[in-house]
Amino acid sequence: MSTALATLAVAALPAFVAAVVEWVEAFTIVLAVGNTRGWRSPLWGVFAGLLSLGVIVVLFGTPLIVYQDQVTQTFHLLIGILLLLFGMRWLRKSILRFAGIIAEHDEDHIYQREVADLRDQTRDATHPRWDNVGFWLSYKAVLVEGLEVAFIVLALGATGGSALQAAIAGAVAAFVVVVAAGAMLHKPLSFVPENFMKFVVGCMLTTFGVFWSAEGMLVEWPGGDAMLPLLLLAVVLTSLVGVRVLQAMSPRHASESPAR
Amino acid sequence: MKEAWEQIYGLLVEDGQIAVGTLAAFVAAGAVAALGSRLHNDLLRNSAGFVLLILLIALLLVNVYTAGRKAYGELSAPWRR
Repeated sequence: MSTALATLAVAALPAFVAAVVEWVEAFTIVLAVGNTRGWRSPLWGVFAGLLSLGVIVVLFGTPLIVYQDQVTQTFHLLIGILLLLFGMRWLRKSILRFAGIIAEHDEDHIYQREVADLRDQTRDATHPRWDNVGFWLSYKAVLVEGLEVAFIVLALGATGGSALQAAIAGAVAAFVVVVAAGAMLHKPLSFVPENFMKFVVGCMLTTFGVFWSAEGMLVEWPGGDAMLPLLLLAVVLTSLVGVRVLQAMSPRHASESPAR
Repeated sequence: MKEAWEQIYGLLVEDGQIAVGTLAAFVAAGAVAALGSRLHNDLLRNSAGFVLLILLIALLLVNVYTAGRKAYGELSAPWRR
């Protein structure tokens, strides 16, 4: 039971949260394409994008399962550095967004922009039932956003045991949730707290990255897996310090402070 | 193919300093672990994990601080004044 819970915490949950963020972004594009140019071609684009992602996961995921025992240390190092590169990137972006230095991701704004762009493009009159632009835009949205999901799934899945299956299940569950919510509401899912979710995933990926990298270097953590929550706490606290420092630096904060 | 490669590159390397700094921290921690193994010093080897954590924390803070200074136009460092 505890192993199942650990797999859920280490692989399925971060994969689910990360995938929700990415699928929401892809959904906004597909919705804009579908609403302006019709649904037939964009839906085929989504299907083709998912198929491509499936091939990527199978292509890279299968060796992870088959050869994992033979190259454990190399895998830990490889996965560690991959998780760190992803985690640090997401964490940095979230901190800068929380501090207001870069704009928050606004799905409504992106949707409006895409719709305006798409309305300017005319359809090919010779193929009334097929729309190349709609197909490729949807395909690209699903592939680009999904590629990040695929990388995270593979990185989390490589931690061993049933982690890959759990990570895939997390990403698929996220897809189902986003599509169901989108189909019901039929508008961009701007209520999803993407920045907060990116922050959570960034903290988790960085924590796992530090842990697995060190394991790959044959480091024995004091307390073993029990060290993970402490590492996570350190990463979260650091990030909050970063946000606080940036907020204190902002001119708006300075002008609001009472003069001494 | 070029666009696909740029997408994959962009997924991992959005900010050069963070990407290169992460790799440098990884190499530095690896060097500490390797030295510990070579000297048969378990304490030194096991400290590599904390070295990695501390380097990454420092990197993150320096990176966002620099981004903040750039954004708020405070990059006029004392030696430039």
